[in-house]
Amino acid sequence: MEHRTLAGDGLPALIDELIKKGMRVIAPTQRNGDLAFGQVSSSAEAVLDYFLCKRSAKEIVFPRTEAILGFDRSGGEVKVEPPSMQFPETVVVGARPCDAASLPILDHIFTWDCDDELFTRRREATTVIGLTCTTADNFCFCTSVGLSPDNTAGSDILLTQLEDGQFFVEVVTDKGEKLAAELGELFREGGDESARQKAGEKARALVTRSVDVSKAKGWLDDHFDDEMWESWMTCLGCGACTFVCPTCHCFDIVDEVQGLSGHRCKNWDACTFWHFTVHASGHNPRDVQYKRYRQRILHKFRYYKDRFGVTLCTGCGRCSRHCPVGIDIAEVLETAAGSAAS
Amino acid sequence: MSHIYMPHQMEITEIIDETPDTRTLKLVFKDEGVRESFSFKAGQFGLFSVYGAGECTFDICSSPTWKDHIECCFRKVGKVTSALWRLEQGDLVGFRGPYGNWFPVDEFKGKNIVFIAGGIAFPPIRGVLWNCVDLRDQFKDITIVYGARTVSDLVYKYELEEWEKRDDVSLVKTVDPGGETPDWDGKIGFVPTVLEQAAPSSENAVALVCGPPIMIKFTLPVLTKLGFSDDRIYSTLENRMKCGVGKCGRCNIADVYVCKEGPVFTAEQMKVLPPEY
Repeated sequence: MEHRTLAGDGLPALIDELIKKGMRVIAPTQRNGDLAFGQVSSSAEAVLDYFLCKRSAKEIVFPRTEAILGFDRSGGEVKVEPPSMQFPETVVVGARPCDAASLPILDHIFTWDCDDELFTRRREATTVIGLTCTTADNFCFCTSVGLSPDNTAGSDILLTQLEDGQFFVEVVTDKGEKLAAELGELFREGGDESARQKAGEKARALVTRSVDVSKAKGWLDDHFDDEMWESWMTCLGCGACTFVCPTCHCFDIVDEVQGLSGHRCKNWDACTFWHFTVHASGHNPRDVQYKRYRQRILHKFRYYKDRFGVTLCTGCGRCSRHCPVGIDIAEVLETAAGSAAS
Repeated sequence: MSHIYMPHQMEITEIIDETPDTRTLKLVFKDEGVRESFSFKAGQFGLFSVYGAGECTFDICSSPTWKDHIECCFRKVGKVTSALWRLEQGDLVGFRGPYGNWFPVDEFKGKNIVFIAGGIAFPPIRGVLWNCVDLRDQFKDITIVYGARTVSDLVYKYELEEWEKRDDVSLVKTVDPGGETPDWDGKIGFVPTVLEQAAPSSENAVALVCGPPIMIKFTLPVLTKLGFSDDRIYSTLENRMKCGVGKCGRCNIADVYVCKEGPVFTAEQMKVLPPEY
């Protein structure tokens, strides 16, 4: 695909042009004092000189809560209605590569065997313009899971700011090509590939944390039972890690009622909650916290990989950054990899 | 355009009280097209729901050979089952399914079958049992070992009487010591013990076992002793489920989705799974 160039001050114009074209634009924006992915009504609301949003971009295609049906018993007999399955044409502007990369990872679970149309319809309606990172912290470890701060996975278009301030516009998918063609006037044909290379190297150098994830997996593969797990007993089971995670996708289905009507909702859930697996009889297969934490790690780095061929982690570091008791997922993997070595 | 979590509507046509806290619902699809096209296999499950309370996972415990309705059997324990308990004949129940795999009844042809169940876990066995009995000529000996804590905890009492009268099925019923009544005419003892005494032959036989985890734990060694190899012992895993279609991440044990690759597993398959069931 033909690459293009966007002027250094071209991002606001790009956002405003998309809005003018009637698209729903989602970008990092201030929400109640935090930076979050949200719909913006003008470029002034978008914050693109940023590190990461507190929560990931997964909620654009997999909302925290969504109605799977509505019911109403006010007329006597229960009336049941499916939700509208019309999702507006959406462009996400400025997703970091670790957020964009979560979408194709989530495609596996929501499309294997049968499609979850609530996910796939949103996904089809969404085009992602990724933005190469300009900062990283010590929790970032995307380069250890096969990604990088300038990786194109999940982006339809990736923007990388070059040394001269201009953006290299990397058109990654057909969807991206279609959008780039529609935004034709904003982009200049062609791009400075060597400057892009240089900017990529600079971005990759930002990530200093490195874990041998495949070595860690080798250990995880045959250490379901190991005293190492008990050292993560400090896990509070608060679920914060799963809520901020771009790839955690466990959900609950619950009815929410107001008077005589209500909705059946698909709500985020967390395998680290004690009641996640508890049976009606009271029997709980994961009866202590370290077993629930172990599930999160094994699901990400062993089971999902075995099942779908990809690791269920983009190395964004959010879970470590937000853990109230300081559990660092990279450290867990380092410990596993270290045990494999010894 | 709908989606995979959208239930069918079913009407309760009959309610049968099994025990003081256990009930069977007979259900018929409201939509005639669904009624005609619906089919399932013994061992499959569904998500049964009350609008306003939520969904619950139950095995379809009727036989696939019965075309006019399906049945579920539940114990009143939590929010959804309490709401189900309050429903009356003619009320609406949501249903998604059939989901999961099934007992390979076709592979049982020409074999002796031993059905073993404990307490409220009889329903999943009862569906496949009727399936086999309805196709009686295709199988050899059919033995049923069923036990509960007390006489009043036995479900399908009316069917137990029917099994006892039949000469092509042999029933061994039991209650735990102390659970008997003065007129109890069955055995007194735990299921594994009673199974060992009954000692059904493992020759050309398969065993289907459903029960609480503790019963399964003590029954498997007895079956081994009787000569049943692990690949001829079938059971179901009852991991908690929400979606039923391999998405919500609740039922998985290692990379196995119990709702998709199960709920029916052989003892051989279960033994290689981490102990998370």
